[in-house]
Amino acid sequence: MNRKPLIVRSGMTRRQFLARSGALGAAGLSLPALLAACGGGGGDAYDVFFENWPLYIDPTEGETIGTIDRFAEATGLTMKYTEAYNDNNEYFAKIQPVLGAGKTIDPDIIAPTSWMAGRLINLGWTEKLPLADIPNVANLDDGFKNPTWDPTGEYSLPWQAGMAGIAYNSDAAGREIKSVADLFDPAFKGKIGMLSEMRDTIGLILMGEGIDPSTISTFEEAAPAFEKLEKAKADGQIRAFTGNDYTDDLLAGNFAACIGWSGDLFQLETESEAVKFVIPEEGGTRWADVMVIPKGAKNIANAAAWMNFVYDPEQAAQLTTYNMYVSPVKGVREIIAASDPDLAENPLVFPDEATSSRLRAFAQLSDEEEAKFDEAFSAITGA
Amino acid sequence: MSLVEAPAQRSRLGSSADRVGLAALLIATACLVAIGGKWVSGPLTSVVVLVLLAVIVGVIVLAWRGGTEARRLLAPYGLLKPGMLWLGLFFLAPLWSLLRISLSTKESRFDINYNFSWAFENYQTAFTEFGGQFSRAFLYAGIATVLTILIGYPLAYVIAFRGGKYKNVLLGLVVVPFFTSYLIRTIAWSTILSDEGVVVSFVKGLGLVPVLEALQIMDNGRLLNTPAAVIGGLTYNFLPFMLLPIYVSLEKIDIGLVNAANDLYSTNSAAFRKVVFPLSMPGVFAGTLLTFIPAAGDFVNAQFLGNPNTTMIGNSIQDQFLRQNNYPVASAMAAVLMVSIAALVLLYTRLFGTEDLA
Repeated sequence: MNRKPLIVRSGMTRRQFLARSGALGAAGLSLPALLAACGGGGGDAYDVFFENWPLYIDPTEGETIGTIDRFAEATGLTMKYTEAYNDNNEYFAKIQPVLGAGKTIDPDIIAPTSWMAGRLINLGWTEKLPLADIPNVANLDDGFKNPTWDPTGEYSLPWQAGMAGIAYNSDAAGREIKSVADLFDPAFKGKIGMLSEMRDTIGLILMGEGIDPSTISTFEEAAPAFEKLEKAKADGQIRAFTGNDYTDDLLAGNFAACIGWSGDLFQLETESEAVKFVIPEEGGTRWADVMVIPKGAKNIANAAAWMNFVYDPEQAAQLTTYNMYVSPVKGVREIIAASDPDLAENPLVFPDEATSSRLRAFAQLSDEEEAKFDEAFSAITGA
Repeated sequence: MSLVEAPAQRSRLGSSADRVGLAALLIATACLVAIGGKWVSGPLTSVVVLVLLAVIVGVIVLAWRGGTEARRLLAPYGLLKPGMLWLGLFFLAPLWSLLRISLSTKESRFDINYNFSWAFENYQTAFTEFGGQFSRAFLYAGIATVLTILIGYPLAYVIAFRGGKYKNVLLGLVVVPFFTSYLIRTIAWSTILSDEGVVVSFVKGLGLVPVLEALQIMDNGRLLNTPAAVIGGLTYNFLPFMLLPIYVSLEKIDIGLVNAANDLYSTNSAAFRKVVFPLSMPGVFAGTLLTFIPAAGDFVNAQFLGNPNTTMIGNSIQDQFLRQNNYPVASAMAAVLMVSIAALVLLYTRLFGTEDLA
């Protein structure tokens, strides 16, 4: 999975980015190597190191000063920021041999998706956050307190959140699409895209089946969704399981409809009026990428300073105007309302009661059950 | 075990140099395999490295002190050493470790250690769960190989015999697109073949959709994300690997041989069948190996041009290694792929192999 905001204001276009990151995946190179090759990335002297998803933070450009530079200005701390976090499972495969052997990885903060954070916390591969040094944690939105992946709230702080729903190309679909059931309409045979991120795809199909993905605990409870997906795949209904590159197929009209992420809508709207995003009638799923400190990190105090900084509503608001995801920080909406009232009213960025009530987060699974889910999903995606 | 026929009169040092050279080669290779395969760890590693260095230095000293005769006997082993050591470290050691992991189990899913336990069930999983991917890989790679011969042979023939002074330009034109990244070229095809793209519009305009659907090239009015697109991508990407060896073997055929056949009342087609084609077989043979082997393990084309029902074994191996963390099963699949390709190639060599290639 690859949840990154698509509003690109830096020199590299999204298309170039996808091509490069694709090449990277295939060649098995590391992003730092690519950045080094591009002449990006600073020296080794840093006070804190954050490894995050690509295009997830506002860069400094012209008059606008990016969050990292504002952080440096406010605290005097230099941050090393890399975008090597491209896929939860791949990143896990990369850090597993290191953290599993009791050694430390370089980053002081990483931002896995909540379920992966839950796995890292359960494995004991994360440090407790020095919450006493993060007074702004008081600004954490109530909806994110004591989450399922981190019941005590001591190990993680959300970075950004968002939702998965249905994105469709009205030209290719030829009609409005409103429900999960539409994805299984035989009229769209071979024109439907699904995400390779199991929780979003299965979660949404479960919603379509009337099963709440936030309450399931065993594979058997989710089995109807797997059966439905399996059948759709065998029938040729599904064209591809993709990461964030679903946006290309959607714009090209190869996908009539697919499962997509809310933040992408804004970029797609600017590229084509035909592309729309809806939270299906049956409801959508919500997710969060959360900051955790890997076990043995060297700069815990500085990591706390960073977390405190981005939990300042003023700072968080600037981030939101850039990446259009749901901010976990209280007070952001009020600040944005002053400068951009339309954005403040957008339910995909600031979900209202009606929207929130239609969203469910995927349950935190036990290791044993998760293995069954992953295995079944991998068998269906055909890889 | 002598690699060189030794002359009758040789010194005592000289005669032993032969055996010493071989022993040094084997010991040095074993040392590297031991390090690469992690047979040794901790302080023992330093000991093995010291042995390795001592052996190499010892042989050099022996060659230095032993005179011409010893050097002559040691030379073949010395020349073999870089290749052998390279193979030991980068082929034998990884192969050993791959086979070992393929027979191991993990205690838990996130365990980083593998316990070697003769776990043949990994191979069973590889066959039962990924049988479809195996057969697709061989089927697609086989069809693509045949297509590259059908496209590459005539092209190579024209360039070699009719290219004249434009030979190099024509060859250059064949190769130039391949200066671009493999991945970019494959992704470019997904744009070309897309549902609203040029090719599909053209085919629709000509009213050929039903024909192509009957031929199972198109599926439900689309070209992209079909088996045909995957095979097409493989064919396109591996064409030069077929064309160039065929070109090389055609190019060195003396055109006088065809004239001689004609003088002996052979028709042009008979001359081609009996003279040119047999002489170009080494090229076809080499091209087939260069195309089929990587194509069978390819995962890029299936990923970008295929759909969930066209995945090949390369996709499964990548997924098991990089996403599922299931090294034992992934290793078993890789081992099966390697063995089946080796078996197919051996069979192919038996049936079609030419003496010239050996």
